[in-house]
Amino acid sequence: MISEDYDRIDATLRSTLRDVLGLSETRAAALDADTPLFGAMPELDSMAVAGLLTEIEERLGILIEDDEIDGEMLESYGALVRFVATKTRR
Amino acid sequence: MLRFGPDQGPLVAVALPLFEDANRVRGFAVAICRALAARGVATVLPDLPGQGESLVPLENCGILDIADGFDCATKEAWNANRRLYGVALRSGALLDKLALLDGRWHFAPQDGPSVLRDLKRIKQASQPHIRLSDADWYFDLQAPADHPDPPVEIAGNLISTALLTDLSVYAPWTPADGGPVRIVRLDSDPAPADRHVPGTALWRRAEPGNDVTLARLLADDIADWIATCER
Repeated sequence: MISEDYDRIDATLRSTLRDVLGLSETRAAALDADTPLFGAMPELDSMAVAGLLTEIEERLGILIEDDEIDGEMLESYGALVRFVATKTRR
Repeated sequence: MLRFGPDQGPLVAVALPLFEDANRVRGFAVAICRALAARGVATVLPDLPGQGESLVPLENCGILDIADGFDCATKEAWNANRRLYGVALRSGALLDKLALLDGRWHFAPQDGPSVLRDLKRIKQASQPHIRLSDADWYFDLQAPADHPDPPVEIAGNLISTALLTDLSVYAPWTPADGGPVRIVRLDSDPAPADRHVPGTALWRRAEPGNDVTLARLLADDIADWIATCER
C-alpha cells in the first residue's frame, strides 16, 4: 500500500470510529495496529458495527459485502485498516 | 405536525428519514425549522405514516404510503397558493416524490439499497448465529404461501416486506426528474454534492443528539436557495 493511500484510510477510519462510537480525540489518536476492537472496545457492540461499516462505505466510497464481514476484520485496528485497504485498491 | 414561522410566503415541508434515524435527527430537524423561522421561512414537520405520533403502524406501510403522507402534509400550502419546497434529511429524500414541490433540498441523501443494506446488517447483528441469505433475507420462507408475508422485526420496528422491497430499488429525486434539486453533504462524505459542510453525522449516534451550528448553517443554505428559486 502506498503511504498516501494508507494515510487517507488511516485518517478516515480514525475519524469514523471517533464519530460513530463517540470516542474522544485522544482515544482515536491513540489507536494503533494492535489496539483490539470488537469484543474489547465496549462502544463497539454488534449494533454499532452495522453503522460503522455503512459509514466507512460512505466515507471511502467502497462496498463491503456481507460475506466479507467477520470477527477477523474487526479484531484489531490494524486488521480493519488492512481489510479496507484491500477494498480501496480494487 | 409541528409548524414554525410566518403564515405567508413560501412554505418548507421537512421529511425526516425512515426508521430509527428519524428519532436520532428529529431534534436537529426542529433546530433547522426554528432557524428557518428566524430567517422568515415557514416550515411544517409532519409525522409521516409509521413515524412518531402517526396512527398508522409502520408494518402496514409501503414507501408510497409514507410518500403519500408527505404529500398530504403539503396540501394546505397548495390550498393557500403558497410556494412549496421540500427539505429532506438522509432517507427522507426517498419520501418527497409524490408531492408537487417547487424544489427539493436534500441533506446527506441516502438511496434505498443503502438503507436496506443498513437494515440487513442490524438484523444480522441481532442474530449472529443465523446467517441471513443474500437477496430474500426478509422473507419468511416457512410462512404459508397463501398468507401475506409477515413483517420483519428490525431493531424494534416491524417493517413490511413490501417496504423492504421498495427500498431495494428506490432512489432520491434528481434534477433529471424535473425542477430544482440541491444536495448538501457533510465534509466527511465524498459523494457528489452542490456543497459540503462541516458537522456531525447525528444519524450514526446511538442516542439522539443535536448540532445547532450545523442547523443554522443549513438554514442559511436553505433560505438562500429558496430566495434563488423565487427570483
